[in-house]
Amino acid sequence: MSKKKISLSEEELVLALRHREKIAVEALYDMYSASLYGVICRIVVDEATSEDVLQETFVKIWHSFSSYSPDKGRLFTWMVNIARNLSIDKLRSKDFKNHNKNQELENNVTFIDEQRNTVYKPELMGIKELVQKLKPEQKSILDLVYFKGYTHVEAADELGIPLGTIKTRLRMAIIELRKNFN
Amino acid sequence: MEDVKAFIESGILELYVLGDVSPAEKQQVEAMVQQHPAVKAELSEVEKALESYALANAVEPSENQRNKILNSLVTNLADDATFTKKDSAATDNVVVMTATANNFYKYAFAASIALLVGSLVALFNVYNKLQKSNLQLVAMTTQNQRISKTVSYMNDALGVFRDTTFKVLKLKGTKNLPAGGMTVAWSPVKKKVMIDMTALNMPENDQAHQYQLWAIVAGKPVDLGVFDKSSADSSDMKQMKSVAAPTVFAVTLEPRGGSVNPTMDKMMVAGSVSL
Repeated sequence: MSKKKISLSEEELVLALRHREKIAVEALYDMYSASLYGVICRIVVDEATSEDVLQETFVKIWHSFSSYSPDKGRLFTWMVNIARNLSIDKLRSKDFKNHNKNQELENNVTFIDEQRNTVYKPELMGIKELVQKLKPEQKSILDLVYFKGYTHVEAADELGIPLGTIKTRLRMAIIELRKNFN
Repeated sequence: MEDVKAFIESGILELYVLGDVSPAEKQQVEAMVQQHPAVKAELSEVEKALESYALANAVEPSENQRNKILNSLVTNLADDATFTKKDSAATDNVVVMTATANNFYKYAFAASIALLVGSLVALFNVYNKLQKSNLQLVAMTTQNQRISKTVSYMNDALGVFRDTTFKVLKLKGTKNLPAGGMTVAWSPVKKKVMIDMTALNMPENDQAHQYQLWAIVAGKPVDLGVFDKSSADSSDMKQMKSVAAPTVFAVTLEPRGGSVNPTMDKMMVAGSVSL
């Protein structure tokens, strides 16, 4: 596990990816695979399928990189939306539905955390604790939208909460995160 | 600036970052980000917060995924135009293997044909040699028979000449045939007359005539039989009719089958017996 991982600044990475450099591919994987996989496997759950989706995600990132524009947002935002959309597509595909009926979506987040080796990096020790500071109603909405691929409309239905309240809680959850992270 | 604050507080930036906006809303957000640095800064804060949240919830993929995924991307790096590089490579492999198998049978078939043609040529050659050998064998058998026949004739001839009872007479050519001559062997004891066909120094007779051998006994001609002079079958001692006590041997040319009395002006050779 002591393998040397490549890390670049986001600007350097974007530039290297534009130039189709091999090192950019490795840096991209080392920097973002775990974060993207965390989102993917919370939506998809099944491990083999999650790994497929992770590969599809990197292939799509690599091939449609020309459509990414730093003006419109950060690289990770663009990538995580690709990962989430591919995960939801996979989840809704017919053959996947057929063999994965027994998983309760609601329990996925804790289920994943119990089942898998989530990342324990020294620099993340504080973050883990801070995440716990989110109020439960904030965390549940954020997780539904961020880790389940729910739209805020679907989340409002699911939780039986008015749309406006959902939006507010989502915003407050993110503000809480900003306080802790930034 | 009130617009900007309301825009920020509406929560649309959060939904934008979460990918939960309509295309129209998306355009609106992007336009606001371009126009207002405050919106851009706010957007960036929201993004960083959610990025950190993702990092806090990160799950490390299994070790083998890194190589698998990087390889699939590096393959694409080599040939960017092809999404399905792996598939086409696999297909290529299959094609290559099929081609190899096909080639083996192709070459094996060609080799068989070549072998077959080679065998046929060899067989034809051997057959020709056999035919030639058979012909030679037949020729040699014929020659062998001829030689043994010749040997037996010569034995006969030698027997005649060795037999002390035989007298050998040289008949000389008459005025009709000055250069002619032949040899007659006569045994007074055995009453046998033989003529040597090999030493028959006379012109060939035609189909209408034959030579006839006569013996003069007590002044009268006695028929001893007819013979032919031809190019073929001349290595013989021909036995003629028997005669006792002849004084002269003579040959005349007579109509085919011979005559009762010799045609004297057609006498070709003659010789007297010296007792």
